[in-house]
Amino acid sequence: MKKFKSILFYTALTISALTFVYPFYWMVMASIAPENEIGNLTLIPTSLTLSSYSQMLDKIPIGGAFINSLIVASSITFGVLVFGSMIGYALSKLMFKGRNLIFYVIIFTMTLPFQITLIPQYIIMVKFGWIDTYWALIVPYLINALSIIMFRQYFKSIPDSLIDAARLDGCNELQIIFRILWPNSMPAIITIGIITFMASWNEVLWPLIVIREESLMTMPQLVTLFAVGGRAESQLGVKLASAVMLALPIVLAYLFFQKYFIQSMASAGIKE
Amino acid sequence: MKYLFNIIIVVLLSYVLISCSSNNKDSRNALLYWCSNNTDEIKFAKINTDEWNKNNPNDQVKYQPVPEGRSSEEIILAAVVGKTTPDIYSNMWQGDVEAYAQAGVLVALDTLKGFLDFLYERCDSVVIEEIKSLDGHIYQIPWKINPIMLIYNINFINDLELTSPPKIYSEFFDASKKFQKDFDGDGYIDRWFGYSEVEVTWWQRFFDFYPLYLAASGGAPLVKNNQVAFNNEYAIEVFSFLQEMYKKNYFSKEKLSARQDVFLAGVTATRFTGPWEIAHAEKFKPKGFEYEYTFMPVPDGHQGPVYTYGDPKNIVIFKTCKYPQSAWNYIKTMIDRESDLKLLEITNQLPRRKNLSSDTFFNDYFTNNPKMKIFADQSVYVKGTDASPVLKEIFDLISQQYEACVVYGEKTPEEAINDAADAVNLLFLE
Amino acid sequence: MINKKKILPYLLVSPYLVHFMLFVAFPVGFSIVLTFHKWNIISPMEFTGLNNYIRLFNDKTFIRSISNTLIFLVIHIPLQIIVALFLAEILNQKIKLRGAFRGAFFLPVIVSGVVVTILWQQLYGYDTGLLNRLLTGIGIGKIGWLTDPNIAMASIAVMATWKNVGLYIVLFLVGLQTVPTQYYEAADLEGANHLQKFFRITLPMINPTIFMVVILSTIGGFSLFIEPYIMTGGGPLNSTMSAVLYIYKQGFFYYHMGYAATLGLFFAFIILAVVMIQKKFIEKDH
Repeated sequence: MKKFKSILFYTALTISALTFVYPFYWMVMASIAPENEIGNLTLIPTSLTLSSYSQMLDKIPIGGAFINSLIVASSITFGVLVFGSMIGYALSKLMFKGRNLIFYVIIFTMTLPFQITLIPQYIIMVKFGWIDTYWALIVPYLINALSIIMFRQYFKSIPDSLIDAARLDGCNELQIIFRILWPNSMPAIITIGIITFMASWNEVLWPLIVIREESLMTMPQLVTLFAVGGRAESQLGVKLASAVMLALPIVLAYLFFQKYFIQSMASAGIKE
Repeated sequence: MKYLFNIIIVVLLSYVLISCSSNNKDSRNALLYWCSNNTDEIKFAKINTDEWNKNNPNDQVKYQPVPEGRSSEEIILAAVVGKTTPDIYSNMWQGDVEAYAQAGVLVALDTLKGFLDFLYERCDSVVIEEIKSLDGHIYQIPWKINPIMLIYNINFINDLELTSPPKIYSEFFDASKKFQKDFDGDGYIDRWFGYSEVEVTWWQRFFDFYPLYLAASGGAPLVKNNQVAFNNEYAIEVFSFLQEMYKKNYFSKEKLSARQDVFLAGVTATRFTGPWEIAHAEKFKPKGFEYEYTFMPVPDGHQGPVYTYGDPKNIVIFKTCKYPQSAWNYIKTMIDRESDLKLLEITNQLPRRKNLSSDTFFNDYFTNNPKMKIFADQSVYVKGTDASPVLKEIFDLISQQYEACVVYGEKTPEEAINDAADAVNLLFLE
Repeated sequence: MINKKKILPYLLVSPYLVHFMLFVAFPVGFSIVLTFHKWNIISPMEFTGLNNYIRLFNDKTFIRSISNTLIFLVIHIPLQIIVALFLAEILNQKIKLRGAFRGAFFLPVIVSGVVVTILWQQLYGYDTGLLNRLLTGIGIGKIGWLTDPNIAMASIAVMATWKNVGLYIVLFLVGLQTVPTQYYEAADLEGANHLQKFFRITLPMINPTIFMVVILSTIGGFSLFIEPYIMTGGGPLNSTMSAVLYIYKQGFFYYHMGYAATLGLFFAFIILAVVMIQKKFIEKDH
């Protein structure tokens, strides 16, 4: 009886896990199935073909978009880590006038919905002449309130004696941040790095607004426009192939660093 | 605090410097001509500019495809906003011209030497009236059209034992009823006589309501001098016709575009579409598939020619151009008879010129491309768009009522047209 | 030397201040100015007084878009909590391959919403979509997942749940582990069954996590955009028009910058109000 119960339990669990995995499996299969089989596909197509992929590569510069996404997401992640730790350090370890004020301003901006600044931010980009440049994709995201708060929290747990000792050794403040605090804050850096990278990799609304030139588009934007526009010529497999390409880099990274992904995103409590 | 401000100023300045350094390129010597980014049109532009540059060493023209990606309308708007417009743009949707003209970014072409003579040579008076702006000036020269017609599957029409595809609404209903089928007996229709995107996006109405309205009304305007003109029996007839098609499930209400091409897959027998479908069909059609084009259906008892929408793309000169007269001289060579033939041969798009199908100069092309001949014959009865700076919104408001009435049957056609007219009138009041 | 020490903190925080001025303070201020103007970016700005606000209150589509967003939340949040809590509860038992199962549930979380939306658009397809093939197979019949105006928003909410639930499973797992095992042992002694233990011990103990999930999903739900943008374009009959999609449409489709800014400002107030109310409830509960 107990054994029966446990079989039932695992069957139910497996079915629910399949609910989350099978659609992705179907998508991959559909992207390598002949176009006319997709409508009936459930498990395995009768023959495999890469024609959807070759057609997609002909139609959209997905490789260039991958590079763009990589440049944008890496620059943002780098900026967020550097600026975040600088500001987090000042807010946690240095005394200065206005410190609390700045801290509360940061907290306040976190509660501010982005919907309010969307239109004026676009206009700023227009006025700067940043439309259709990497600047528009990167600069507004270089500083992130959440990362500042997280760095601040983490640095607070690091004893002051460590910093004082470094100062006695003649380290300047930047050296303290990057030579002393960084090696001691790897969990925070990994967490902030992963969530920032993920968020900027998957961002799509902002690129849709500020980028019009195809050669500068990020991957999610290119795939979105491909999916809603007419360029897929109603070929379903081609659309799915582009979606597979978009998912692939992150899924690969996820397979290798699953634990870090889950921990990071859970600790920040954000999605995407 | 003083330091703080100094720092802010320094950082702000560096931001500004970065932003300034990023948009200083392009030599301004040659005229810049933006063509569409369609491969064939790029080829056409290259041939034309090469020829011109050879003959006019002092007036060079550089062509450049519109940056690829979004709709060309969005790209042009971004260029206007960023003041990076080209000198010449050849793919301006006629419906956008009025808004740009009113914003003062286009050159009034009728002020240029030789423009009006050339225009009267190329177009008949109806077309000229159509492209005139509300202020009486002309900001565009008609270039090319892609008329919307009814494409049909010849084998299906034969299967239905019809001698010709349906021409009037009642014939359309009959054929649809015969064609509709539930193959597997699961209670769901598996093939429909026709299909049109049910999406509410404004330009989808170019492929159903608008050409049908032009067909029914003999080419009547939607709006005229900032007043609603579409609240008439024709619009109501078109709404009733399409509503019936959806109600009886002759057209699928479900979005079919998310799967394979329904017309080529034999899931539908007809579709409203333009000449670009020819290249697509030749590329993807299954063996034995035969198709042809005919006029848009009209109400029973319709008299006179059958009009349709031509999706006109016109050429404009932006005010950023320093030498509009040279630009115009170049444009003239782009749209003369020889170039128009090249346009046909290279891109399979129709030049918008009078007597296209009767001019023997184009004979050979149409003999070799019989399907294009149908479009050339139609091109006599083609309408573009009305002059209004808010045309997109007008289409959008009609489209909203279209969805509620035609697709979901929530309103009668009379109510829907009335509501659309009221909404558009509000727009004009603003 | 002393001087340098004084400037230093300001130097370190200066990037934040610049960023704040440029991308927060100025935009918010400018946004307010914009709401009193009509501007299509290509012509000069035109002062129109309170026109945008009057228009907003008469704009049925915008009001619809807000109620759509609320409908989305009403379906999405409870569903999310129930499914996440259920699966977390199971994963919290002593089971084999726990990491693999958790990894599977988490997979949709890391994938871009664009991928998920394109994929589900196919699953929801009317004639050949996987779901309808399944339903006709078991004799239920076809459902217009994305084309029936009464169902489309619920379909999107289900998809969003599928996408995000993995994250909330993990959050709940963390929460469940904070429940002291003695409580359960004591309950076992009293002969409590599974359900009793869940409702009497687990649920009250993980209340904070539930509230966190509510707030996070609320904020996420208010930014609903890409799903309707790709799947339905806001249709049918505006039933999936989300507020952000509508603002996007007004701003970047019709270039009604002043009006779009007004919508954004107004909507931001609604978001703040809803989140405040939720927070009030949380504080009251503790």
